[in-house]
Amino acid sequence: MKLKAMSRTVRETIPLALFLFFLWLIFTEKTNWEHLLLGAIVAALFARISFFMVGGRLDPNLNWKVALRFFPFAALLSWEIMKASWDVLTRVFRPSLPISPRIIEFDSILDSDIAKTMLANSITLTPGTVTVEIEGKRFYVHCLAQEHESGLLEGKLERMVAWLFAEGPDDMRGLR
Amino acid sequence: MGSVAKDVLTVIFGLTGVLFFIGGTVGLLRCPDLYSRLHPATKCDTVGSCSITIALALQIGLDIALFKIMVVILLLLVTSASSGHAIGRSAFKTGVMPWHKKGVVPWPLKGEDRWTGR
Repeated sequence: MKLKAMSRTVRETIPLALFLFFLWLIFTEKTNWEHLLLGAIVAALFARISFFMVGGRLDPNLNWKVALRFFPFAALLSWEIMKASWDVLTRVFRPSLPISPRIIEFDSILDSDIAKTMLANSITLTPGTVTVEIEGKRFYVHCLAQEHESGLLEGKLERMVAWLFAEGPDDMRGLR
Repeated sequence: MGSVAKDVLTVIFGLTGVLFFIGGTVGLLRCPDLYSRLHPATKCDTVGSCSITIALALQIGLDIALFKIMVVILLLLVTSASSGHAIGRSAFKTGVMPWHKKGVVPWPLKGEDRWTGR
């Protein structure tokens, strides 16, 4: 029993350790055995420590399908981010400063924590909107102007995230 | 790609980055309150720094340092959004009232008591 629990711990720590080792390889750019050994030791140690601190396991909603879908999602999101920044930039440089900020609330269709986190981060990065609080499924979003509010409530981003994690009602999962 | 074209692209991306950084700073100075200042701070600075890192990546070319740059861009995207959210959330939780134009209700649905009770 004890041995079984231990092997489970090891199994769940290994992906994280491998990931950390990969990062180590990228950042050191060295392949002699001293560096590799040191990297392996450090990766294993830190994976072990973070297992104690945060549970170490990856979110069960993360799988290889999500990883594959992440690339088109990231491309769409970067386009949205660029539009957002250009919009904020033009607003800021105009002498009249055309903003009319307020906080709006809406209920999300998303369930899991990771999807809500992704949605909150995406909202923060896109047109004139910053997520200020999430309570359960309720999002509180600060919007810079009227257009941003309607853009947000259209729910394009939400649909994108729902598609990414294959969540929410079926008719909302499409990318439109 | 010829090296001149590469240099031109680098300059274009670098200047775009500078433009967005200036915009972020101007926005930070011009906006009326904490919440609206978060917008230029989180968005313009993200795009600015990403654009400058892309310019650097062009100069590096195919090298393992390219992966470093990609990791840096990913971290920038995640951390700037998260830190902006953290600042906004702490202000919201402590009851900072958002600035609003005359006639606009800053928070349309409910929760007026959240602030009038103070």
